[in-house]
Amino acid sequence: MRPPCRVLAAGFTAIVLAGLGPAVSRLSAQVPAAQSRPGAYTGPRTADGKPDLNGIWQVLSSAHWDLEPHSPEEGVPGGQGVVEGGSIPYQPWALDKKKENYAQRATADPLSKCYLPGVPRVTYVPLPFEIVQTPKYVAISYEIAHARRIIYTDGSPHVEALEFWMGDSRGKWEGDTLVVSTNNLTDKTWFDKVGNFHSTALHVVERYTPMGANHISYEATIDDPKVFTRPWKINLIIYRRLEPGLQLLDYDCVSFFWKRTLADK
Amino acid sequence: MESLVGRRLVGLGIAVAVSILAPDLAMGQGRPTASAPASTKSTYVPPRTPDGQPDISGMYEPGWIGQPAEVPHGEPWRPKPGGPSIGPTDFGARAAAEGDTTRAQITPSRAPMVIDPPDGKVPMQPWAAAMRKEIYEKQDQAKFLDGRVRCLQAGVPRANMPVYYNSYQILQRPGYVIILYEWNHMTRIIPLDGRPHLDPRIRLPMGDSRGRWEGNTLVVEVTNFNDDTWVLGHGAIGDGQPSSSATSGHGVVHSPDLKVTERYIPMDANLIRYEATIEDPKAFTRLFTVAYDAMVRGRSDHQLFEYACHEGNRDGILMATGVDIDPSQK
Repeated sequence: MRPPCRVLAAGFTAIVLAGLGPAVSRLSAQVPAAQSRPGAYTGPRTADGKPDLNGIWQVLSSAHWDLEPHSPEEGVPGGQGVVEGGSIPYQPWALDKKKENYAQRATADPLSKCYLPGVPRVTYVPLPFEIVQTPKYVAISYEIAHARRIIYTDGSPHVEALEFWMGDSRGKWEGDTLVVSTNNLTDKTWFDKVGNFHSTALHVVERYTPMGANHISYEATIDDPKVFTRPWKINLIIYRRLEPGLQLLDYDCVSFFWKRTLADK
Repeated sequence: MESLVGRRLVGLGIAVAVSILAPDLAMGQGRPTASAPASTKSTYVPPRTPDGQPDISGMYEPGWIGQPAEVPHGEPWRPKPGGPSIGPTDFGARAAAEGDTTRAQITPSRAPMVIDPPDGKVPMQPWAAAMRKEIYEKQDQAKFLDGRVRCLQAGVPRANMPVYYNSYQILQRPGYVIILYEWNHMTRIIPLDGRPHLDPRIRLPMGDSRGRWEGNTLVVEVTNFNDDTWVLGHGAIGDGQPSSSATSGHGVVHSPDLKVTERYIPMDANLIRYEATIEDPKAFTRLFTVAYDAMVRGRSDHQLFEYACHEGNRDGILMATGVDIDPSQK
């Protein structure tokens, strides 16, 4: 029987490619981490004085295919990489595991099974997401798999010793930068389509620093002492989608899986 | 979080643990909902958000899980001839819910959620009733399985039916009400600015929601559905149960013409009553309305947990279809 994964992977690739312009690879150059200087942000603010991040956003980058610098291939836009320093600092055994993942990536990528993308990958899959910002919560709804994160900004602590596909996220504002700590992550997600991976020891700290009303500098520090020799960072720009009337259209991967699977029955 | 997901997930083919509703559906008991017109009156005035909306934000638990959705078109189901009949089934969760003291504020009701037509029956067109019968009779075929066990989005108003595997967080920001569902991480972002619905060529399982405040009631019109979802459904189909005995709303199909008008009515600081008028001339012989206490305020430290349904459904999919989506889990 034909495994569904290949079909899903192909379908997903087609979808995401269809949504991208030819300029995608030019947008993936490394960007410097923006600093949150007092007074640097002059965009709109919420009633409680925070930068207003409400709205629909999207990353334009080939990070989803490969976080590291890579040549264009059929169906894969090239990219200059988003990892600070250029390379992911794997421990020797983990680099071997990554190579194994790479060889099996067509079927082994968790996204090809319609699984939730995990953090930080959900940020740079090439589909939009919507931020809903209130004083106590920043909820992010992602078009892909109608994935969702509820980031608590109420000072509450992380939950303990659980595993979530999208982790447990607690945030705080440092000046005008939203800093989000995410842990309690499963080891079943990848960082990209080429098999960059992590363990359950993964701890991600994201910094969302608004550069203005329509751009956010995004930095994620990835710490996983079981897999990497040291913490490492990725840097991306998040762009506000400005089309009038734009709204999220859930990409319900699971429903497409069932339609394909049952069509054979 | 394998154990938590496992506990919350109900896989395919699980034997249904049914609670016994005895005696037969006692119509009219509980909250007096029968014959109430659309738009239940409430005198409660919620506080206001900074932008002036009635403030209904917060954490909510589902209302009364044991309330039947509808009056069966035929005889109540008696698995054993002469034995007791079976009400809406919810994997035994009703008993657990009844023993949960944190849910003591929820008012029990045995009245049907369908308040119009007055007979409490879902007014299905003949083809829709025939499809429902086929669904009940072919539960051994994957394509007739409840979307819930296939980890699909629930649709509307089904997403708001009280079930033990759901709870809610309502957020409000200027111009929007946002409903986050624990069940299958469904999210509805409801704009209040009067913008038109999506182009009719765009079809979504959860439809396209447009809201407005009428006094203190949030009115949401939902269109642009596909026909993948069921309108209702808050239990499970019993093994061998005929569709004519259905009280849970299972298998109530609809066409893409479905239009749902929802009313979220704050009755007091802790209770949101819900009414939904369902319009779909292709599937139903007339409009019908469901009404029930849908959301009861939970503890302020309540948190929605991740409902990673499909991610834990490899074995269920394999059993139902023979397709192994993740051989690494062997």
